[in-house]
Amino acid sequence: MIFRDLVTMPLGNLWRIKLRSALTISGVMIAIGTFVAMLSFGAGNEQYVTEQWEKLGLFNTMYVYPLREDSDNDTTQNATLNDSAIVSLALLPGVEFAYPFASFDVTAIIDDSSQSFDAQALPLVATETKMFSQLKDGRMFETDSAQEVVVTTVFLKEFEIDSSSSVIGKQLVLSVERLRLDSAVASLLRNSGEAVRRVFHKNMLDSLKQTGYMRRIMESELSQAANSFSDGFFNSPAIISDTLTIVGVLKTGRGRGRLEPVLIPMATAERFYSGGMSNNPTELLASVTSGSIDFSSSSKIKRNYPRVTLQLDRHTPFQTVKDSIEALGFRSFSYAEKFEELSKFFFYFDFALALIGMIALTTASLGIVNTMVMSISERRREIGVLKSLGASERDIKILFLFESALIGSIGAVCGILLGWGVARISSAVVQFYMAKEGIEGIELFVLPWWLVLIAFAFGLLISILAGAYPAARAAKIDPMEALRTG
Amino acid sequence: MNSPIIKTKNLCRYFKRANYEIKAIDNVDMEVKRGEFLALVGSSGSGKSTLLALMAGLDAPTSGTIMIGDSIMGEMSPNELSSYRANRMGTVFQSFNLIPHRTALQNVELAMFFNNTPPDVRTEKAISALEKLGLSERMDHRPSDLSGGEQQRVAIARALVKKPDIIFADEPTGNLDQEHSNQIVSILKELNGEGITIIMVTHDLELAQKYSERIIKLVYGKIESEEQL
Ligand SMILES: Nc1ncnc2c1ncn2[C@@H]1O[C@H](COP(=O)(O)OP(=O)(O)OP(=O)(O)O)[C@@H](O)[C@H]1O
Ligand SMILES: [Mg+2]
Repeated sequence: MIFRDLVTMPLGNLWRIKLRSALTISGVMIAIGTFVAMLSFGAGNEQYVTEQWEKLGLFNTMYVYPLREDSDNDTTQNATLNDSAIVSLALLPGVEFAYPFASFDVTAIIDDSSQSFDAQALPLVATETKMFSQLKDGRMFETDSAQEVVVTTVFLKEFEIDSSSSVIGKQLVLSVERLRLDSAVASLLRNSGEAVRRVFHKNMLDSLKQTGYMRRIMESELSQAANSFSDGFFNSPAIISDTLTIVGVLKTGRGRGRLEPVLIPMATAERFYSGGMSNNPTELLASVTSGSIDFSSSSKIKRNYPRVTLQLDRHTPFQTVKDSIEALGFRSFSYAEKFEELSKFFFYFDFALALIGMIALTTASLGIVNTMVMSISERRREIGVLKSLGASERDIKILFLFESALIGSIGAVCGILLGWGVARISSAVVQFYMAKEGIEGIELFVLPWWLVLIAFAFGLLISILAGAYPAARAAKIDPMEALRTG
Repeated sequence: MNSPIIKTKNLCRYFKRANYEIKAIDNVDMEVKRGEFLALVGSSGSGKSTLLALMAGLDAPTSGTIMIGDSIMGEMSPNELSSYRANRMGTVFQSFNLIPHRTALQNVELAMFFNNTPPDVRTEKAISALEKLGLSERMDHRPSDLSGGEQQRVAIARALVKKPDIIFADEPTGNLDQEHSNQIVSILKELNGEGITIIMVTHDLELAQKYSERIIKLVYGKIESEEQL
């Protein structure tokens, strides 16, 4: 027998019992179709998520944080994320550049209406990353000190602006309240200067005699003074404001990383947050406790950042970078790392989907066994003839295995087409409802080549396994017996 | 030419049933010479078909040995046995055993599936074998569309097409009239003339005497007489 005989002979046999073959093949087709449609959904979801991450450059983004307070121990130095730390992070192999996450509250005024937002200072290099390239309109700013600003769609929503193109070129007045010690001191002097002087004067005179009484007076005067100080500190902040031109609108949406609604070039932003202390209590506390407060508004401020973003070289494995970051005394977070977990999730997700297809395949394989057993018992005499003509047990076995493999492959091919069709229809239905809900259409069903291969391989494998027992039985048929009894 | 191609020794084939035993072949010692035309005669149930099946390697003896050339059949591996069937022997069954859903041509071609004959050579040889047996008009007919005699000739074509060393023919004239019987047996005689050993079962003693070189008569599984012609 040559290979052609192994195809034409079983094909002829299947053709002779058309109805039974068609039914058995349909079983395999439906099973493979289910398998393909299910995994097409799994693969579609995975591809969608991967694409989104890819689009945002999440795979080459890594965040660096200072070590947590509670993880603070003697063996690791508690490094602070300041400007010099950023420089050393940027110099790590595999890191393309590093920039801090510097955010602050601003009041934005556009066309006489005003809103409060979080603003983020962004270095020019960061605009080259995918995260900041999802422009809806316009462009990113051109220099680090440009009097330009980029806003996000969240910003537009807050101002109830529908058209993103209409804001391009508009003037945006940004103002920041900074707490300044000088205003606090001024307030103290203005309100309590006299009282303080009196306290100290009296104190000097009567300190020996009326300690108890004086203490009370002193306490009340001092608390009055403290009140004036904090009054001045908190209630008369300095207002720093600037007018910037809106040059671009960035998209925001599901799955996008954290993006503040207002993005300001690094150097331009400097003046907003270098003129005093933040009125954000956490930030304020952080700068007080780390001793990084510098009262002079002109000198460069030593700042601690809550987070530094690293842009990684595509080809450096994140683990190497992660290790170097830990060696510097920081902790890191990368999406690539998270994605490994996500991949694991997708594996189980796909597995669960595949299981449904497998159950269908098992049922289909029983159909194959049934068909093969039947056709073998109907063809006992033929098998006897083949043996008398010199067919070995192996020849008979291979012939029948090919027959069931043929059922499997025809079923698999039809099943792949069926599954693809079901996936296309489901996708169309989903897209239709998404469009109805006003959601941007997402393709949740894909048919990658590996799925086609796996589905075909499964169909083939299952059918060969299903054919194994009947084929072995056929091979063992005693020719004399078969020829006598038929 | 004078060394035996088949030799049996104490050959027995018993069929055990619940409360009796059929001794279909009982202690048969015989030799078939290379190139011989041997006729096996005997009444119905005397064991002729059983003996043929044993010699063709389609059935295994209960005891005793069969030698094919120099090798003992019982010691041959399954592959050697199927290779013996595929290459060296052809069988014409009493009941033809043609495959009903295949045409005459396809049935004949099937004889060469298992001896590595390329497909085009198979077709070529099958056509010439069928032509030789006067079936050129019937090649694309299925067995059910053929008369008994025609089916018989297709079965013979299938046996001779691969030019085997031995042809086992079980009642090749069983369904034929006098004229056709003579025609068939003369074809076998012709093949015998080409060097093929023929072992033919028949109960037509006249035919056996006319064409064969030796007649062995079986009675209840034993050789009763042997006649050299
Ligand atoms: N597989 C078998 N099982 C049981 N008995 C069998 C079997 N094969 C043959 N026999 C018996 O062995 C005996 C010899 O049978 P065999 O077919 O060899 O006879 P035969 O000489 O060919 O007869 P016929 O001229 O009718 O073809 C018969 O009694 C038959 O019933
Ligand atoms: Mg018989």
